Amino acid sequence: MSIFEELQQAIIDGKAPVAKEVTDRGLKEGVRPSEFFPNAIIPAMDEVGRRMRDCEFFIPEVLIAARAARASTDILRPLLQGEESVKPAGTVVIGTVKGDLHDIGKNIVGMMLEAAGYRIIDLGVDVPPEKILDAVKQHDANIVAVSALLTTTMVNMKAIIEALVAAGLRDKVKVLVGGAPVTDAWALSIGADGYGKDAPAAVELARKLAPSA
Amino acid sequence: MTTSRERVTAALEHREPDLGASPVTGMQVDTVYGLRQRLGLDAPGTPVKVTEPFQMLGEIKPDLMQALGVDVIGVGRPGTMFGFRNEGWKSWTTFGGTPVLVPEGFNTAAEPNGDILMYPEGDKSVPPSGRMPKGGFYFDSIIRQPPIDDRRLNVEENLEEFGPIPEDDLQDLSREVERRYTETDKAILANFGGTGFGDIALVPAPGLKHPKGIRDVEEWYVSTITRRDYIFKIFERQCEIGLRNLERIYQAVGNKIAVVFVTGTDFGAQNGPFISARAYRDLYKPFHLQINNWMHKNTAWKSFIHSCGSIKALIPDFIEAGFDILNPVQCSAADMDPYKLKQEFGDRVTFWGGGVDTQRTLPFGTSEGVRKEVSERLRAFGPGGGFVFNTIHNVQARVPIGNVLAMYETVREAGRYPLC
Repeated sequence: MSIFEELQQAIIDGKAPVAKEVTDRGLKEGVRPSEFFPNAIIPAMDEVGRRMRDCEFFIPEVLIAARAARASTDILRPLLQGEESVKPAGTVVIGTVKGDLHDIGKNIVGMMLEAAGYRIIDLGVDVPPEKILDAVKQHDANIVAVSALLTTTMVNMKAIIEALVAAGLRDKVKVLVGGAPVTDAWALSIGADGYGKDAPAAVELARKLAPSA
Repeated sequence: MTTSRERVTAALEHREPDLGASPVTGMQVDTVYGLRQRLGLDAPGTPVKVTEPFQMLGEIKPDLMQALGVDVIGVGRPGTMFGFRNEGWKSWTTFGGTPVLVPEGFNTAAEPNGDILMYPEGDKSVPPSGRMPKGGFYFDSIIRQPPIDDRRLNVEENLEEFGPIPEDDLQDLSREVERRYTETDKAILANFGGTGFGDIALVPAPGLKHPKGIRDVEEWYVSTITRRDYIFKIFERQCEIGLRNLERIYQAVGNKIAVVFVTGTDFGAQNGPFISARAYRDLYKPFHLQINNWMHKNTAWKSFIHSCGSIKALIPDFIEAGFDILNPVQCSAADMDPYKLKQEFGDRVTFWGGGVDTQRTLPFGTSEGVRKEVSERLRAFGPGGGFVFNTIHNVQARVPIGNVLAMYETVREAGRYPLC
C-alpha cells in the first residue's frame, strides 16, 4: 500500500494514531505536505461522506474519522505555510448562532471542511453577529457557516445576514446555514446562500458556492 | 369507559392528549404562563412553577389539564437534573419576563455577558454545571471533563449518579403515586430514572458536583466505538442497579402506574439514525430487553421509549427489545412519514407523539395550519387505536398561544372515534 492509501484507510477506519504515524513517515520519505490533501485526506473524507449518506457510517464513525484526519492535518498545516503554491480552498468562519450552545454538528462540519482543504476559523458557540463580522474582516473569509439546533435560536441567523449587509460585506461571503430545525425554505427566506442538511452536504455546498480559484 | 385512566389504560388504544406528564411531553414555562393567562386561569403576574429546571418546563396543574382535556399525569423522583429537589419554592423571572417559582436549590449566577450559570445541587462553591445564554429559554450542560487516562478509567466513575433509590425518595414516590391515583382519574406516566442507557443529556451529569469518567458529549459518542467494552460495562452495572430499584419501586407502587418512561436516549438525528442498527443491538438492546422483560413479567406497566429523530430503521429493534410505546415520533425527521409508520408498526407499538410538528408548524405556522396538521395526524395515527396524542417533544418557548389552543381544540373536536 502506498503512503496515500495507508493514510486514506487510517482516516476511514478512524485510527488517529495510525494517521499520525503514516503522515510522519510520508513526510520523512519526502512527500510534500500539500500532496497529502488531494491524494489522501480529501478522498478519504469524501468517502466518509458517502458512507454517511448511504447510512453505513453514523455520528460516531464520522467523528473518529474526522479526528483521524485532524491528526494528520495538525501535522501538515504548519508545514503548508512553507509551500508558497499552496492556498486553502477557502476560509470559513464557523460557529453556532447567538444563544445556541449545541456544537457537535458544527464541529463535524468544521472538521470535514478542514479535511477538504478549507481554512477554518471556529468561533465556537453562542456567536453574536458582530463577532462573525470581525472574523470575516480579520481573516478575509469567503464563507460563513452557522448552525442552530433550536427553533428559538435559528431566528438569529437572519441577524447575521443583516449585519453582513450593513457592513457592506454581503457580496464578499457565501452564507451557509444548517442545523436540525433549518430547511432550504428557511435558508431562502432569510437570504442565506445555501442550506446543508449534513456535513457532507456542507462540503459540497462550499465547493459549489465558493469554488477555489 | 369514562375516566382518563380507563381511556389510556384500555391498551392505550385511544387518541388522548398527554401534556407535561414527562420531561419530553411538557411545555416551556413561558408558554405555560401565556396559556394560563389566555385561559383566564390566573390573575396577571401569578407565577408558574418550574418543575424541570434544565428544560425550564412549567407545571401543568389540574385546572390546565381540565381546560385542555389532558388524560395523563406524570410522577417521578423528587430530584431534578441539576441534583436539587423540587421543594422550597422561591421567585424568579425568566429572560422572557415571566414570573416563575423555582426550587430552593435553583441557585444561579450571572456572567458578565448576561448568561446565567446553574450549579449542581445548588452549590455555588463548585464549578457551574449549566448555562442559559442571555435571552435564552433553557439550560445546557457545561461540559466538565477531567483529563482522561485510558489506563485508569474505572466504570464506577460513570456510575456515580446511579445507585439504590434512597428509602426517603421511595416513600415520597409512593405517596405521590397514591395521591395521583386516588385524587385524579388520570393515567400515571412514571419516570423513575436510572434506566436511560447512554442518555446524552445525562452523560455530562449536571447534577454531580465533580463528575468523573467520560462526561464530554463528543468523547462519549466516540467512546461507543473506541471504548466499547468500557461503555458496555457501564450499562451492565447500570442495568443491575436499575432492576433492583424497579423491584423495590414495584413493591411500593404496584400497578397504579400505567406507563414507565424507560429511556430518553436519542438514537436519531434529523436525517437518519445516530448510530447503526448493529451498534444498537450490540450496546443498548441487551439492556433494554432486560428492563422490559422484567417489567412485562412482573408488572402491568407499559414500557415507553423516547428517541428523537429519524429512527425508522431502528423501530423493529425497539419493538423486539420490548418497548410498547414510541415517543416523540418526530415526523419532521427523515423517513418518518406518519402513514407509513402506522402501516408498518401500528399493530405492534403505540405512538405517543407525532401530533404536531414542533420545529415548524407549531412555532412558526398559522393556527389554521396547526389545525390542519393535527387533523391529519389524528387520521394517520388514530385508526385502530395505539395512539396517544402528544406534541413532538416539549412545546417550546415563543410558540404563539393561539397555536397551542388550536392544537387542543382540534384534538377535542376531531379526536373522537370513529375518526373522520
